[in-house]
Amino acid sequence: MKRLLGVALGILTAIGGFLDIGDIVTNAVVGARFGMSLAWVVVLGVVGIVLFAHMSGRVAAVSGRATFEIIRERLGARVALANLVASFLVTLLTLTAEVGGIALALQLATAVEPRLWIPVAAFAVWLVVWRAGFKVMENVTGLLGLALVVFAVALVQLGPDWSALLQDAVAPAIPAQEHASTYWYYAVALFGAAMTPYEVFFFSSGGVEEGWTEKDVAQSRADVLVGFPLGGVLSIAIAACAAVVLLPAGIEVTSLSHVALPVVTAGGVLMLAFLIVGVVAATFGAALETALSSGYMVAQYLGWSWGKFRRPAQAARFHLTMIVALLVGVGVLMTGVDAIKVTEYSVVFSAVALPLTYLPILVVANDPQYMGDEVNGRVVNALGQVVLVVVLAASLAAIPLMLWSGAGA
Amino acid sequence: MNAARRRERARRRPAAPYPLDEPSTGRLLDARLHLLDRQVLDVDGTPVTVVDDVELTDPGPDDGAPRVVALLSGSVLNTRLLGGHQPGARWYRIPWSAVRRVGVTLELEVRGEELDVTWTERWLRDHLIARIPGGRHDPR
Repeated sequence: MKRLLGVALGILTAIGGFLDIGDIVTNAVVGARFGMSLAWVVVLGVVGIVLFAHMSGRVAAVSGRATFEIIRERLGARVALANLVASFLVTLLTLTAEVGGIALALQLATAVEPRLWIPVAAFAVWLVVWRAGFKVMENVTGLLGLALVVFAVALVQLGPDWSALLQDAVAPAIPAQEHASTYWYYAVALFGAAMTPYEVFFFSSGGVEEGWTEKDVAQSRADVLVGFPLGGVLSIAIAACAAVVLLPAGIEVTSLSHVALPVVTAGGVLMLAFLIVGVVAATFGAALETALSSGYMVAQYLGWSWGKFRRPAQAARFHLTMIVALLVGVGVLMTGVDAIKVTEYSVVFSAVALPLTYLPILVVANDPQYMGDEVNGRVVNALGQVVLVVVLAASLAAIPLMLWSGAGA
Repeated sequence: MNAARRRERARRRPAAPYPLDEPSTGRLLDARLHLLDRQVLDVDGTPVTVVDDVELTDPGPDDGAPRVVALLSGSVLNTRLLGGHQPGARWYRIPWSAVRRVGVTLELEVRGEELDVTWTERWLRDHLIARIPGGRHDPR
């Protein structure tokens, strides 16, 4: 019974923890402009993240090594440094977007200007990173993030033409008023939002934090294999809500209130309250994950002592890195940049930075020196290689598409 | 719970292909494959640094194979990344005699605290992190 509860808790946390500001905003933007015609990208992204998050978790469980240690061991100091710089900047951008997202969600709830919420939100994030236990942190934000189920409930209440939605998703066509470059630009953005590099750094380091052994691999597989796809379903529900309400009305998503509009249309104030709780929890959780990831990757590249399971004083450089990352994020937000724009750029640059992170995971998951006889099976390897090709294509196409489409204008 | 699990994992970890019982008595290592960019752990399993470079003896007159004298860390990384020579002795040495085991990580038989290479960690701990309230709080 206790075991069953553990599995259920893990899955629920994975659903709530799957979505972050990048997924929420990008899916709403895409739904409002392209209807369901990009839903296939979410499916592809979910397959990719399930495969590689689980692989990195398995490597952490069997060998006790987190992803960035492996990246440096396998790619060497020079290429790994290039990856560190790229991944760190992207994660910093994502952290900035998440803290901005918390502030925007709190603005919806309180009508207090985001710039007043930003320092409060960042301080709260730091306090949890500094003080709270790892498991508690993950479970609380994950479970509260489940409130985002309102998007699915709202979709049902809106009573859309389901067959038309399905038709649109299964036989995608570029809408007549949009250019092909814009369509593919948002495809890359959506893929980057689903597969952001910090997720594998966090997932594998989290495995080390919690002291996973081979016994925990099954639990992690259940979390990822059931939780992430359900998180993907919520992503698609966000896009569908936007497609049903915003697309016909010709409303483009430029703020969080646009994202909330379909939910308010469907369920009024009560559902808006759930949405705000969900967005705050999801962005707060992701802010914690990105802040920790910024510390994990620098500490693991340079071989410093790291981890929330240690006292802060026993991982001083790791904690200082996270403090600096949060301060930089706050500094950027206080200049008054649009957090929604920051989010849109963060997911595209995520796509650019992905290949150098995913390749070493696949290599090490096949190395008996690390994995003993727990190396990848053939099916996982075949799927992993297919995903890697897609990741590489998305990475190479991202910047040209950004220039060509004028960043989706 | 975590400490016990960690120990168990250490026990179950796949055996190193080249277990080094006596590191100083000459075993063939591929420096690039087995040493460079490997994580160094101290006797308690705490991360110390990553091997940025290694110091070798000049090739001997008899067998010609250079021996590892020390693991290097610090600003030697810059010269490995950018090329050129290291100006002066601004790196940190971990003598080879302190290495206990060479596997997917390098394990030392000394505490990281005692090594020069961790001075930034100790300085930041003493002057900043440990002074913030809760800095010595055990999260578990």
